[in-house]
Amino acid sequence: MLADTQPDIAEGARSMGSGAPARRRRPRLNRQKIAPYLFILPNMLVFAIFTIYPAINMFNMSLYDSRNGRTFRWVGFDNFTEIATDSEFLQVLTQTVVFTIGFVGFTVLFATLFALLLNDSFRGRTFFRAVIFLPSLLSAVVIGLLWGWMFERTNGLVNVALGSLGITGPGWLVQDHLAMGVVIFVGLWMHTGFYTLIMLAGLQGIDPNVHEAAKVDGATTWQRFTKITWPLLRPTTLVVLILSTISGFQAFDFIWTLTGGGPVGSTTLLVQYIYERGFSTPTRYGLAAAGGVVLFGFVFVLTAINFAYGRRKEAA
Amino acid sequence: MKKLRNVAAALLCSVLALTACSPGEKEADPGDANTNAREGVQELTYLYFTDGPDEQATRNLITKYEKEKGVKVKLEIVPYANLEQTLQARLAGGNAPDVARLSDLTNFREDLLDLNKFQKEALDGKFIDGFDKAAMGPDGQRLAVPSDLTINGVFVNADQFKKAGVPVPSEGKGWKSWQEMVDAANKVKAANKTEYGVAVDVSGHRFSTMLSQYGTTLIGGDGKTVAADPAKTQKMLSDLQKWNKDGTMPRDLVLQAGSKYKAANEIFLGEQVPVYVSGNWQVAALAKNAKFTWQAVPNPCEERCGGFPGGKLMAAFKKSKNPALAAEFIAWMNSADNQKQMDAEANFLPTRKDLVDADIPFAQRPEDMKVFLSEISKTPEDTYTSAYAPAFGNSAKAFVEAVASVLAGKDTPEGATTKLRTGVEKAIKDAG
Repeated sequence: MLADTQPDIAEGARSMGSGAPARRRRPRLNRQKIAPYLFILPNMLVFAIFTIYPAINMFNMSLYDSRNGRTFRWVGFDNFTEIATDSEFLQVLTQTVVFTIGFVGFTVLFATLFALLLNDSFRGRTFFRAVIFLPSLLSAVVIGLLWGWMFERTNGLVNVALGSLGITGPGWLVQDHLAMGVVIFVGLWMHTGFYTLIMLAGLQGIDPNVHEAAKVDGATTWQRFTKITWPLLRPTTLVVLILSTISGFQAFDFIWTLTGGGPVGSTTLLVQYIYERGFSTPTRYGLAAAGGVVLFGFVFVLTAINFAYGRRKEAA
Repeated sequence: MKKLRNVAAALLCSVLALTACSPGEKEADPGDANTNAREGVQELTYLYFTDGPDEQATRNLITKYEKEKGVKVKLEIVPYANLEQTLQARLAGGNAPDVARLSDLTNFREDLLDLNKFQKEALDGKFIDGFDKAAMGPDGQRLAVPSDLTINGVFVNADQFKKAGVPVPSEGKGWKSWQEMVDAANKVKAANKTEYGVAVDVSGHRFSTMLSQYGTTLIGGDGKTVAADPAKTQKMLSDLQKWNKDGTMPRDLVLQAGSKYKAANEIFLGEQVPVYVSGNWQVAALAKNAKFTWQAVPNPCEERCGGFPGGKLMAAFKKSKNPALAAEFIAWMNSADNQKQMDAEANFLPTRKDLVDADIPFAQRPEDMKVFLSEISKTPEDTYTSAYAPAFGNSAKAFVEAVASVLAGKDTPEGATTKLRTGVEKAIKDAG
């Protein structure tokens, strides 16, 4: 702050000393103030051109019909009406909600569990932290393919293993509900490491003296978890909730290679619905954009609710 | 919350500002084009996707054309999967090729040049009627030229048939029904311990072969009405359901989930199925990759015989720098002599009427190619109208969904037939 104000004072003193009438001068732009903006400017420009502009333009496109991406016909809210009355969209939406609930619920549960385990001191802790985090580094496409092979009905690793125990494995990816379960499981396997890391950071931010004091007062492990760890971990949990909810609604890549949205569309989620309208024949860019607006609406509302809830809790 | 409100308000303002502007471009107005190919730019770009040996055959013809006409042709090859996106992007960017090889005109009809303005005499009445109809615009414009024909058909693993002592069908001694084919395939399957008896490509186009043999097509003779006779469609779906349930066919593959195979040809090449239903374009690929003796055999009959047609077209764009030259190039490439050369080198089937009965010296597996050639004459006329109707692409998708929903046990053949008919009706409506 001192560096910001001192040049102005010196400027004022010089004006007074010279006897010239004091003029109000606009504060000069400080190099140190501008520098950060200049550093991020290239990134922001690219972000604005390739992310912000297309995202905003999506709202515009949702009001038009286009089969080729070049000629657009104004249709108002017809695309939204078509989506709302499309039984496939409603099925996809239901499946997206089911997937997101399953994915977010298990993610929070397992991320908390793993973080608690990995926060303790034990031999090989660093190794296990790396192992848990490793799937987050792999390509989603590769993960989908690998698990697809493992869950294959006749020769997949899972059913071969079950077969060696005398159990006939089901058609994991051929039966609707099992396929959705597998998709949730693979999503969980892929992302839990990342969320565990966030939870672990949250746990390490809790003052150990609080736990020590509780121990001295005779609190059990469970009591310490419910009365100290969990409440203090709430802001971190909120972050995990928001991020995993958004991730759940955006899930696509690994599902595309794992099940392709099948069997018979039972694991097709919202992003795949949008992708298929926008990029596979027959292309319906307006309809795809309308689907994108719906997805945006969901993510925006959920984020707003989560934020509002978090703020209220913090204030309390 | 205040921040969120601000973000929402900013977004709303941006959207309102943007909605004032219509996205995209204005419709192209071709205007009066120069009709003399020798005037203007003497260079062409030809956007192409390759099925294999046709690339070299195309290059050979281009070299011949360049020498003959003194024109430079730039061949630009793109993967088939990216064809539509690439072409749309190039048209949007004002960088349209002069000529393109297409498998479907639906999304480009507004952009295509009327070749009749330049080459009517050379092109009119020369091509197989059913296919030629698909290349025409609503007011008799010639939007494209059928450049190669495909016919769906059957391949068998001759080694496995021999081992099982089951005779391989031949012209005049073909399978009289699908059941007969399935019975033979299952005998071969048992003798060779293969995983399946019959594999069909998972495609509405290939399922349409079976549907045609069962006596109906998806789209009616005028290309604008739903055909899909309910009783015949149900019978076909019931039989497919039965054969997928008893392990004759790879159910997981049709459901497109949880199969170790990505396509039916993988099963055939892996010698895990003795009978494979696909089409003549597989001949070159099988000749290159199969490690066993195989051959093409006549399609099974049911109510009707024959296969199901498909094919590619050559088209020029209104935005071509020299439309007359583009039209001339297309007409030259599809003249009788040049198409015959292309078919011989690329193992393509001819689209010209005067070449259907011609003795084409196919470079690879001529005996198998002759099986497909003889299937052309047995293929019912209404299959051409159905296959080349603008609504066929979407109808075929609805067909795959109908088959999959029956095999997954989510629908009965009756229910799936009703949904299929609704899907075809919607496809026809969407195609205008």
